[in-house]
Amino acid sequence: MITLLKTFISAGLAGLLGLDAVQAGQFLFSRPAFVGPVLGWLNGCPLEGARLGILLELLYIDFIPVGGVVPPNGTAAAAVGVLAYSAGGLAPSLSFFIGMAAGVAYAPLESRLRASRSPLNNLVEAQVSAGNFELRRWLARAMLLENAAMGAYVLCAAGLAALLGLAPGLPRLYPGTDFAYSLMPWLGLSGLYFRFRTQVYKK
Amino acid sequence: MFLRSFFIQAGWNYERFQNLGFAFSLQPALEKIYPDREKLKAALLRHLQIFNTQPYMASFVLGNIARMEERAAAAGEGELKSLPGVKQALASSFASIGDRIFWGRLKPMTVQVCLLVWSACGFYGWLFTGMNEEAAFGVLLAGPLSGIAVYSIFSIYIRWTGLAAGYACGGSANCALDAANWPRLIRLLSAAGFAMSLAIALLSFGLLAGFNCGACRAPDLLLKIGLPVAVLALHRVLRALGRSVFFTAGLLLAVSVLAFSLLKLEPFKLYL
Repeated sequence: MITLLKTFISAGLAGLLGLDAVQAGQFLFSRPAFVGPVLGWLNGCPLEGARLGILLELLYIDFIPVGGVVPPNGTAAAAVGVLAYSAGGLAPSLSFFIGMAAGVAYAPLESRLRASRSPLNNLVEAQVSAGNFELRRWLARAMLLENAAMGAYVLCAAGLAALLGLAPGLPRLYPGTDFAYSLMPWLGLSGLYFRFRTQVYKK
Repeated sequence: MFLRSFFIQAGWNYERFQNLGFAFSLQPALEKIYPDREKLKAALLRHLQIFNTQPYMASFVLGNIARMEERAAAAGEGELKSLPGVKQALASSFASIGDRIFWGRLKPMTVQVCLLVWSACGFYGWLFTGMNEEAAFGVLLAGPLSGIAVYSIFSIYIRWTGLAAGYACGGSANCALDAANWPRLIRLLSAAGFAMSLAIALLSFGLLAGFNCGACRAPDLLLKIGLPVAVLALHRVLRALGRSVFFTAGLLLAVSVLAFSLLKLEPFKLYL
């Protein structure tokens, strides 16, 4: 019961922190490096949360949200990864890869959410033309929808991860996932190193 | 306007991008400039048109446009003819500068700061995934928060000074583009980022060697150091072929599961 409650709170918190990615503030509280330890602490596993968070961050930092590009979502990745471990009972290594996939899979949903806001333009123009200059509620509505979508997505993905945990023979995968997981810091460091190396040495 | 500028992307949409957030941010200035409701309506509708720039750099455009609207209210609507062109030109220029400073350099640097703070506090869990170690929650949070603090202080400073700088030279299509020596700043950030990358890479390989040193034979040690080097090379090659980092991660996962789970080879650890 407590686990379920914590999972719901974590999903809600992920939705709230997720707003920081695009819609409000952009202080980087939505990054996996922060979401991981915070949700890990909430679910009683701060160390594994921090580890999952920073490793996801190292991979996700490779994507730049330039123009209208919707990058894979790091908040969803970290939240699902931590919950797959804490509530789903999966090994950290498998939780990491599930989180990674969940963040990638969230991008099309986010893209649809952005597309669904396009019709707002006509509604807002009509409202302003009618002499009502209250723009706040449209932005609040957009943020609320984004928050709810992220929360529901994290909840569903964590639920699926928990169901996966019931699959017989799953531990047989762990030697392979553990080894691949141990290579992820190096893959992340590679991205970080070559990003700046290219910047410094380019003509 | 300053506080509202934190929500400039709240209504981001594919049709007109940041238009809703831009109009919302500019609204307090417009209300002050146009006490007449009809003129305010026209001004708001003007700014509900397409707009897109780097969110932190939007302040420069906001300040500039507020000044232009102020002049138009005083001198007549003829002043507004150049407004869409100036707005578009500044949005593009500041987007290019902002993307390179914030997304391309400062954002990855927050991760580097996090790793360095954790290492300074003696937490190496970010490198050794299976290691059982203890770390206080304060330390775990100090890493990401240090990066966030560095990033946020700079971004808030840019947002704040951008408004003032844009307002000061409002009306010009190159307004505030010289507010800082952007190329120099970009070069400095690149150099600092590369120096930190190098430090983290050396630290990581040093730690890997240190954790294995004396406890395994030289060929084993070479293998354990060679494997991360191979991962670096694989990532580099696949990246050159246009594959994302997730493809490389997926490939490593598939090969590992095949080797250690399905073919049941002896499990292997990078460190003791």
